[in-house]
Amino acid sequence: MSAHGGYRHLFSPISIGSLRLANRIVFSAHLTNYATQQGRPSEQHVAYYAARAAGGAGLIITEEHSTHVTDWPYEKLIHGFHPDVVPHYRAITDAVHSYGVPILAQINHNGGQASSMYTRLPVWAPSAVPDPLFREVPKALDETEIAEVVSGYSKVASHCLAGGFDGIELQCSHSSIVRGFLSPATNKRDDRYGGSLANRARLLLEVVSAVRETLGRRPVLGVRLCGDELIDGGTTIDDAVKVARMVEDCGAVDYINTSIGVATATLYTIEASMAIPPGYSLYIPSAIRSAVSLPVIGVGRFKDPLQAERAIAAGYCDLVGVVRGQIADADFAAKARSGKASDIRTCLSCNQECVGRMGLNRWLGCIENPLAGRESLPVAPPRRKRRKVVVVGGGPGGLQAAVTSAERGHCVTLLERNLSLGGQVALAATVASRAEFLDITRNLIAAARRLSVDVTTGVEATASIVEGLEPDAVIVATGARPVRPWWAGPADSSSRVVDVRDVLEGTVAPAGSVVVVDDLGFHQATSVAELLADRGCAVEIVTPAMVVGGDLGVTLDLETWNIRAARKGVRQSTDLVAMGVTSAGEGPLQLNLVHHPTGVGATRSADWIVIVAHQTPEDDLWHGLRSAAFEVHRVGDCLAPRRAHSAIIEGHRVGVSL
Amino acid sequence: MSVALVDSVTFGSVLAPSRVVFGPHETNLGDGRQLSDRHVAYYERRARGGAGVIVTETASVTTNDWPYERAPLADACASGWRAIADACAPYATVVLAGIGHSGGQGSSAFSQEVMWAPSGVADSVSREPPAALDGDAIAGIVSAFAGAALLAVRCGLAGVEVDAGAWSLLRQFHSGLTNLRQDRYGHDRLAVTREVLGAIRSAVGSRGIVALRVSCDELAPWAGVTPEQAADHVGELAPLVDLLTVVRGGPFDTGAYRPDSHTPAGFNLDLCAAMRTAAGPVPIVAQGSIVDVDMAQAALSEGKCDLVEMTRALIADSDIVAKARAGRSETIRPCILCNQACRVRDNRNPIVSCVMDPSSGYETVEPALLPGDGYASGNNPSAPVLVVGGGPAGLEAARILASSGRRVRLVERLPRCGGAIRGAAAGLGRERIGLAARWLEERALEAGVAIETGVQLAASDVEDARADGWDVIVATGSRFVADRYANSGMAVFDPLDVLAGRTGLPDGPLAVVDSVGDWVGVNVALWLAAEHGRTVSLLSPDVVAGTLLSRGGQLGEINFRLERVGVRRLLRSKVRALEAGRVLVGDPWTDRQDTIEAAAVIDCGHRLAEERLYQSLREPRPVRVGDCVAPRGLLEAVLEARRAVASLRTRQLVGGPG
Repeated sequence: MSAHGGYRHLFSPISIGSLRLANRIVFSAHLTNYATQQGRPSEQHVAYYAARAAGGAGLIITEEHSTHVTDWPYEKLIHGFHPDVVPHYRAITDAVHSYGVPILAQINHNGGQASSMYTRLPVWAPSAVPDPLFREVPKALDETEIAEVVSGYSKVASHCLAGGFDGIELQCSHSSIVRGFLSPATNKRDDRYGGSLANRARLLLEVVSAVRETLGRRPVLGVRLCGDELIDGGTTIDDAVKVARMVEDCGAVDYINTSIGVATATLYTIEASMAIPPGYSLYIPSAIRSAVSLPVIGVGRFKDPLQAERAIAAGYCDLVGVVRGQIADADFAAKARSGKASDIRTCLSCNQECVGRMGLNRWLGCIENPLAGRESLPVAPPRRKRRKVVVVGGGPGGLQAAVTSAERGHCVTLLERNLSLGGQVALAATVASRAEFLDITRNLIAAARRLSVDVTTGVEATASIVEGLEPDAVIVATGARPVRPWWAGPADSSSRVVDVRDVLEGTVAPAGSVVVVDDLGFHQATSVAELLADRGCAVEIVTPAMVVGGDLGVTLDLETWNIRAARKGVRQSTDLVAMGVTSAGEGPLQLNLVHHPTGVGATRSADWIVIVAHQTPEDDLWHGLRSAAFEVHRVGDCLAPRRAHSAIIEGHRVGVSL
Repeated sequence: MSVALVDSVTFGSVLAPSRVVFGPHETNLGDGRQLSDRHVAYYERRARGGAGVIVTETASVTTNDWPYERAPLADACASGWRAIADACAPYATVVLAGIGHSGGQGSSAFSQEVMWAPSGVADSVSREPPAALDGDAIAGIVSAFAGAALLAVRCGLAGVEVDAGAWSLLRQFHSGLTNLRQDRYGHDRLAVTREVLGAIRSAVGSRGIVALRVSCDELAPWAGVTPEQAADHVGELAPLVDLLTVVRGGPFDTGAYRPDSHTPAGFNLDLCAAMRTAAGPVPIVAQGSIVDVDMAQAALSEGKCDLVEMTRALIADSDIVAKARAGRSETIRPCILCNQACRVRDNRNPIVSCVMDPSSGYETVEPALLPGDGYASGNNPSAPVLVVGGGPAGLEAARILASSGRRVRLVERLPRCGGAIRGAAAGLGRERIGLAARWLEERALEAGVAIETGVQLAASDVEDARADGWDVIVATGSRFVADRYANSGMAVFDPLDVLAGRTGLPDGPLAVVDSVGDWVGVNVALWLAAEHGRTVSLLSPDVVAGTLLSRGGQLGEINFRLERVGVRRLLRSKVRALEAGRVLVGDPWTDRQDTIEAAAVIDCGHRLAEERLYQSLREPRPVRVGDCVAPRGLLEAVLEARRAVASLRTRQLVGGPG
């Protein structure tokens, strides 16, 4: 950052091949699941990329387009090999070009990282080595089939040219047949496509050559390489650097993009959650950049323009891929450029609605950007202008309702019972490994201040107080409160059987041995367990589910949680249902359990028991206002206690509806 | 017998051409939330085959009920219902629109709205709390049911079936597990259902059919609907309907609704008989893994029901009624109750199909070959065919070719045909799988295939046959990988040999090593522990056993079954090496290491294509199918066999894009 606060390196133009980019911020390729059921790009693709172009990205690279009918690992993959994609491509490129931003198409064949479920054809791969996720034995390609793969890339490149793309990126990195050939872990061939690195790189160079021939001289051609597969016997950085040199030496390529990990083995390293520090993969572009003269793109959880600026200034890379940062805020680049970096709605790297929805075959969204995934839907103007809106509750739902209402010109008052805003988000973020979750309300609070929302904290809004404000509309966002489950007995029966919120709020401080009883399967139990283990407690999590923290799988937190749990000595027990607690004075509590698959009883002795269970809506005010003369809405947990994204979406939706 | 399955039956104002019902089920055939042309073809095929009643895929009556991505929406079904009515009309099949609301068992992922339910009780599967409906909202849902019914009848359908089964809002009202209300809908739990049925009756009049599917056992007797309560429910609701289908299942056991072969076929028949007594004169449909015409006929003859739902049987063979009428029941392609391809409640949106008949669900895409389609009349229609391999792929190809008049010789290396099915069919609850092999072999023999078993062909034998003008199909299956792990002295066995009784095992504890997570490892562990009293450990790198079986909907049940029979599940255990008497394992994420004592290992890892014969043949090589291309499943074997038959005419590549 320069003395006057600009991001000098980030906003210095750069050429890649024939393209001149206005800045170094790349909206690099990532799955969206916006394609139609038939595998065609959609209107949502157009609006989504256009929004990031409008927001000032230097370069946009689309999600992958499949190059061959044998490649269909997930339902909403764009079938680039089908000629009727071209008009859809044109719609995307026209929209992006209208903002003066170049756009490349990423093309790819996923090879063995696929199943035959959609294609009903054998999976193609260098060797009959099944992928660790899909676990389907592929057919090892013969040379005729390899030639067909190569020609598939050419064909799709020609579709992309016809569709107005400025060039092509070949995904040879985390989920690709090219990576499969490059990697000794998946390439067991003994012909001219296997064995030595030169042989393993043969397919890559054939594809590069064929695609360059199709493109002609001007359009840009990039290659995305995996720098470190992080699997047994896989590609490591030394081989990746050598491959990057081969790519440069062939003279047909304009830039190199990088990635880390294998999508179907170590995805948690590719789309790292907040549990992994930003910039964790910069050693890859750095090593490659020092070996080649082509521009190199670095990626890896850049959520702040300052991080990106530093990566470029330090010479780790020439350009920076900012994906989740620009999903959360399409205007990331424009805000950074215009000195409003603090207005950026910073990505949390929570992975809940972006990465988490990808694995579930749902369209890409964002926990804190209710427009992500909805860019193509029209937004109606306010029903009435400058209404007097009262929002009760300063958690994420209430804050979002206030911000959206204020953005749309209404006069907003927000009342919060506690002395500080943030609701349960603030509690969730008290655990060290979850600290970045706080950005969700930090961003909203900043926006509320910016939009002059009249915020009062420390006031319990009763129906009469709200009515006294003479509002046109009231949005109730009063959240939820814990419920003591039946097995825990009445609250006065033991003061050492406590709710997770009590622990996080600091009203109790368990010590000694602690059993966390988890009904939710998400961050609540694992976070409190970690916190207590850090404080020296002996912690065990028991759950009726088959896995502790089962929902951490989709956000890619399960691996890092288990690594930390092992380090911190947190024990985990599954398939156990809590049946009761017996306590004898000051002695240890006895937790009675039943192993539900077998019906066999079990017990645990502990100094403290922490309850992680469903909450109940805090909806007294809602009921108290039901006969009010003004509009009353409720959002978030006071409707049904769920996760933050529901509160944000509902807060936004109500704000838009006023 | 007085009541014949294949004879017509009258209920309400209609006459159904047989007593066989094709029940409502998820297909993922939809185009968004509309019924598609593929739906039309799917239902038409079953009507043509003689189904008496078809209930179309359950359509949500309100927009915000969106339980899975392709869940039909009643408001979007008009053109589909009309087309289905028209397509089925020539066969006089009674077509009812399935309509329902999934309440708190739905999903907020697609609607991005809160789920609504009787009370705010979180579903045990999604763990997402719904919001409790108020009286106005209940009235809205009642009228939405009536509106959907009116639309269905106006589209030419005979009426509707209302869903109060395992996944339904109405059942949630019936149940003490989910209905905790204090208002009249809590005191009178059938009130909403009565209102719905009454409103529908008013909408469709006396001539429209009003049918009900109702859960009569939630398998959770502590608060759920028990068969005793259900008798009262049925007594109260039956007078309001024309047809009533008895099902079971509730929030804790949705998998019990249409389980796989581990649950005995016809499991609901006694429940159904009890409900029939309670129902009075209203005809009752029996449901519950009834896939055999003899069982169906017996149920009718014994007065347990009036009609029989045979959904999965009709997916496996759409012509069961026609074949039974012709006295050719033995030719009915058996449903093996595997749930592998027909159960499609899965995030990936798989298309409904059948391992025995992959044309199911693909009627418009890849219809079954029929005699007269010309597949056997190619360049040399009289050329005899040599099929190498008597597994499902080889048998299916031989069967079709012989039945179209080709001379076919099938040679199997082992003493018996059936291939991998033989092992798959071993063990309690797996017997039905064996019907697949038996049926294929009997039909092949009936068609005149000359089957030779215990004969190993050399490449020269095959070349001689080709030289003599024979067409050749290679279907040599898969082979065991004996040296997957570093091994110093551990005995390693092929699970298919173990299950098929082809090998003995040493005394002592056994380690089943399952790096795949499909049926093989789970099945061999269960079989050894439960039926042979062996001490068994199941080693899996995953967090649950049998992870690939989740699509069958019974992943939990599979794991619980392992626990109940005493199999020690060693999860997150990746084999590092084998030594005499022990298995060395490591955790995939942490540095935890263990040693497991074992006298022998059964390695259930991936198999490889048995392609040695194929690769030794001269080019152009003949067609090959099934596991010898890449080891997969029964569906792929049957599908590729059919494509191979077609290719003998066109000489296209099979299993490739052609």
